[in-house]
Amino acid sequence: MRKTVTALAAAAGLTAAVGFMTPAAAADTAQLSVLHGIPDTTVDVYVNGALTLDDFTPGTLAGPLDLPGGSYDLAITAPDAADASAPIIGPVTVDLAAGGNYTAVANLDATGQPTANFYTNDLSMLEAGKAGLTVRHDAAAPAVDVLANGTPVITGLENPDEKSLTVDAGTISASVAAAGTTDPVIGPADLTLAEGTHTFVYAWGSLEDGNLALATQTIHGMESAPNAVPGALATSDEGNGGALAAGAGAALMLLVGAAAVARRKHTAAARS
Amino acid sequence: MSRTAAGRRLWASAAVLGALAAGTAACGTPAEPAGDSPAAVSAPATAAATQTADPTPPSGPVPASSPAAQIPAPSSIPVRPATPEPAVSIPAPVRVEVEGTGISLEVVPVGVEDNGAMTIPDNHYQAGWYKYGPAPGADAGSSVLAAHVDSRTEQLPIAGLKDVPPGTIVTVTREDGSVQRYATEKVENIAKRSLDGHRLFDRTGEPRLKLVTCGGKWLEAEDDYEDNVVLTAAPVS
Repeated sequence: MRKTVTALAAAAGLTAAVGFMTPAAAADTAQLSVLHGIPDTTVDVYVNGALTLDDFTPGTLAGPLDLPGGSYDLAITAPDAADASAPIIGPVTVDLAAGGNYTAVANLDATGQPTANFYTNDLSMLEAGKAGLTVRHDAAAPAVDVLANGTPVITGLENPDEKSLTVDAGTISASVAAAGTTDPVIGPADLTLAEGTHTFVYAWGSLEDGNLALATQTIHGMESAPNAVPGALATSDEGNGGALAAGAGAALMLLVGAAAVARRKHTAAARS
Repeated sequence: MSRTAAGRRLWASAAVLGALAAGTAACGTPAEPAGDSPAAVSAPATAAATQTADPTPPSGPVPASSPAAQIPAPSSIPVRPATPEPAVSIPAPVRVEVEGTGISLEVVPVGVEDNGAMTIPDNHYQAGWYKYGPAPGADAGSSVLAAHVDSRTEQLPIAGLKDVPPGTIVTVTREDGSVQRYATEKVENIAKRSLDGHRLFDRTGEPRLKLVTCGGKWLEAEDDYEDNVVLTAAPVS
């Protein structure tokens, strides 16, 4: 619970930094997704006391809800609850800034108690050819490492923390292992990270109960276009230069050609 | 080094030179976007961030005095398994032809250079397909194919791109053998400096084919053409 409060406080701090939104800015709503990451438990979700997600099942992602910027109470109840008065989790208060994108997770804490983790989704623009990857630890499990194609890319991640990477777009084989090890406790599973998207991967479930799993959420639209379509001469070998200039030009082009080949290899290696 | 190895190396160099003379000589390395500030090099967004995991967005916000009145109804909120999105698989283009022009180019997938410019094959008989954008046949957005023009002679068919009349059929053959047909809508000269404003690399609008090369005035100082010639074509059944 303490960690949850920390996460919430961090989110609140961010909102404070952004400042209060005017009604005009509220046209730009906040987007809130909700992930159910508690095994074997169907729940209802109430927002400000109103039933918002009915019979919400584990491993599903709801939303995004378009909400005006502001403060909201989230409560998670048993599926047969008549109202939000006796929640299993919460109510927790989340602050949503207009224009922001958030995910609230109903999950187990590191010791296996139901809780809620709240995250701000990074929608920063990505360079052409890149994809964003964020991994969030929402499982009843100790610190973990995340491996891409068998190589640790994120280490020592603890519930409820998250870590982000920018990677070359493509498909990776992702797995999760106990920190400092490479023997998977989840996966490996193929994960396609499309260019210009940010994929949020949640490790959820319980190590002790043997039901650890990954949930994913992909947000699109952060791609960057090339800034030019070039068509230039490499070197001027027309005019008076004669054989000498032509020879120098050819040598230069040879270098350019070699560089291009090297660059392509590099790209290919990075992509594989 | 043995004589044989040296000979082989010499031969290889000559072959590379020959290839360069045939292919790269006229249209070589992409020039740095001269005059652009570093800020301009980090290309801008082509679209506002959208969350496409949302097939049925909640109905538009209703003006209300309190946020509570704006909590969407449960039935309006999309819920889906939090599983990875399947990789989109559209056969890659392998050839583009513009009917009646002699323009027929092999197509190879390309990305971007370190300077942020689209990669263009160093070969006058190839066009690059911007592989991060939509492929020909995608439901939305512009498939961009680009090729160098031979600035010395302007004799290769691609130099005639600027004169292609509206209605001209453009075909794209894909790696599975299927053919996508397009009809030319327009051919424009777009100043390279204003390329961003034309959404050449649009990913969300109507499906279009964009065939791009260079044109306009040759700018001696920048070692580049002033414009991009952009043929825009719409799919026909």
